[in-house]
Amino acid sequence: MIAPFRKVLVANRGEIAVRVIRACRDLGIASVAVYSDIDRGALHVRLADEAYPIGAAPPAESYLNIERVVAVAARSGCDAVHPGYGFLAENADFADAVASADLVFVGPPAAVQRGLGEKTAARRLARDAGVPVAEGSEAISDLAAARSVAERIGYPILLKPAGGGGGKGMRAVRSEPELADAWRGAAGEASSAFGNASLFVERYLEGARHVEMQLLADRDGAVVWLGERDCSIQRRHQKLVEETPGPSVDDALRERLGAAAVAIARAARYENAGTAEFLVDPSGGFVFLEMNTRLQVEHPITEAVTGYDLVALQLRIAAGASLPFAQGGIERRGAAIELRITAEDPYGGFLPAAGRIGPVRMPSGPGIRVDHALEAGAFVPTEYDPLLAKLIVWGADRPAALARARRALRETVITGVPTSLPFHRQLLDDPGFNAGDYDTGYVAERWTGREAPRLGDGAAVAAAYVAAALLRGPRAAARQIANGTASAWTHAAREDALR
Amino acid sequence: MRYEVALADRVLRVEIDGAERFLVDDRVVALDAVEIERGRHWSVTLDGGSHEIVALTPDRLLVDGIAVAVTVTDERALAAGRSGGGVRSQRREVRAPMPGLLKAVHVHEGDVVEEGAALATLEAMKMENELRAPLRSRVVSVSASAGAKVEGGALLMILGETD
Repeated sequence: MIAPFRKVLVANRGEIAVRVIRACRDLGIASVAVYSDIDRGALHVRLADEAYPIGAAPPAESYLNIERVVAVAARSGCDAVHPGYGFLAENADFADAVASADLVFVGPPAAVQRGLGEKTAARRLARDAGVPVAEGSEAISDLAAARSVAERIGYPILLKPAGGGGGKGMRAVRSEPELADAWRGAAGEASSAFGNASLFVERYLEGARHVEMQLLADRDGAVVWLGERDCSIQRRHQKLVEETPGPSVDDALRERLGAAAVAIARAARYENAGTAEFLVDPSGGFVFLEMNTRLQVEHPITEAVTGYDLVALQLRIAAGASLPFAQGGIERRGAAIELRITAEDPYGGFLPAAGRIGPVRMPSGPGIRVDHALEAGAFVPTEYDPLLAKLIVWGADRPAALARARRALRETVITGVPTSLPFHRQLLDDPGFNAGDYDTGYVAERWTGREAPRLGDGAAVAAAYVAAALLRGPRAAARQIANGTASAWTHAAREDALR
Repeated sequence: MRYEVALADRVLRVEIDGAERFLVDDRVVALDAVEIERGRHWSVTLDGGSHEIVALTPDRLLVDGIAVAVTVTDERALAAGRSGGGVRSQRREVRAPMPGLLKAVHVHEGDVVEEGAALATLEAMKMENELRAPLRSRVVSVSASAGAKVEGGALLMILGETD
């Protein structure tokens, strides 16, 4: 098959830049990386065929700098730009700038992005296409308006940014006294994340699951759905775990969600890969939330069950190719789960951490895929998203996938920064999660922030030996290592004692 | 040397003696430990069981894939603690884990806070992050105020033991 493009600029960093570079190489396309000053040594820079600096570490000065990214693409002789997710992926001005430079934007055209990116416009579009949406408001810019909408539809409500998605700037409000604080926090976050402080109010559906449907659409107007992903395991509206098939989704519901997603895509004249997000209530009713006009972080679980390479398909569709399959030709096999490993400490309120990665061991073996850009010595900066790695497991059915996820976690070692791995280990042992019985409130209700004391006797004795040996240390390095093992309390006490 | 090792939910009294033997509750345990990476990564076999241990942070070990908090005290420190001398006021500094904007400080000097209580709110990475008390403590001093832009590692407050 002929490569869809000659050379593609990857306007991103981290694991997703690596993912796109891999698809390019698989298709015989040359790849161009861009990097900020602190990413000079990053993996995506080394894996690409060409790499160019685009500015200082803060995103606004590099990865969000439309002019510089487009200039590099034009100067290096690219014919297309892939935005990955985040950064400029849902920025219609960027898609416009790419098109104006006679380059192909790998994603939906700017006009489509604008129609769906303004979240209240997307709600209207869905309603007109016959898809239900949650009761809510138009975009509002002051607290008094929010208060009167909330009184009309009743608490609990959600405050959501009108200008963008992804869970940033979102707040659940259970009663009127919480509203003012929540408004300030949400508007502040929305303003810094999307440059637009306006919010809208939506009725908060408790006990609902977050289920999304993957779409592909070509330029000729063909639209197919590839299957759902349940993303209900979230903390502060940030997804931590995704799985397909959704444990609560039967064939009939899947068909209904697929048809609704396709109806919205047709109404929006959608092109390329996209994802329609829904909330599904326990009785199987659902409402449309928003359309993500880009590749999702969790796209690999859909790849695992369908066998498709979604990034390669994005590139082919962007080059004008027709969808290579019809709805009836899409098959899904088995079950897949993604665990997002982030540089966040689950025992410290999921506080993100920066640092230099120490030794790393990623899991491997049957049914396991890890998308990451981690290496020993790699620096995790505070400037960007704390996602370190995506652990994707596949099994013939859900129990097999769960067993593989537990195996993969047992094999994984990441040192140097705290990670969310302990959270995932506890979740995979949780009876509710194993039974598939969870909704979007699950993490807030169940995660205690305390470790599960589950060491066997042998493991405890072995660990006690290591702890004691560390404190004593080999004579030469005794002090350094002793400080390294004693707890912070003891450590502080020792330093005080030495003064 | 004798040690007290607090490990997740249990406390073990152990000893590494002059002959490099390892004892738990004064009984010798036949255990074979190999350092895969010095000071960081071990393989320990014991009664035929194979255990892998990685030092993740100063106070956390990864034991067979499970992260557990660990505190070790040697006999000198234990003795000092019991006699009331040697170990002075035990305190813990709360520092900004990353650069950001300090949105709020929720505690005052002298407050006693429970484990997990919110101490301050730091906005970074476009998200508001709660800094929480690692254990029940008394707030000894507060050295930053709401609205301040802080560097990563900046001292925000000092916690001490409650009486």
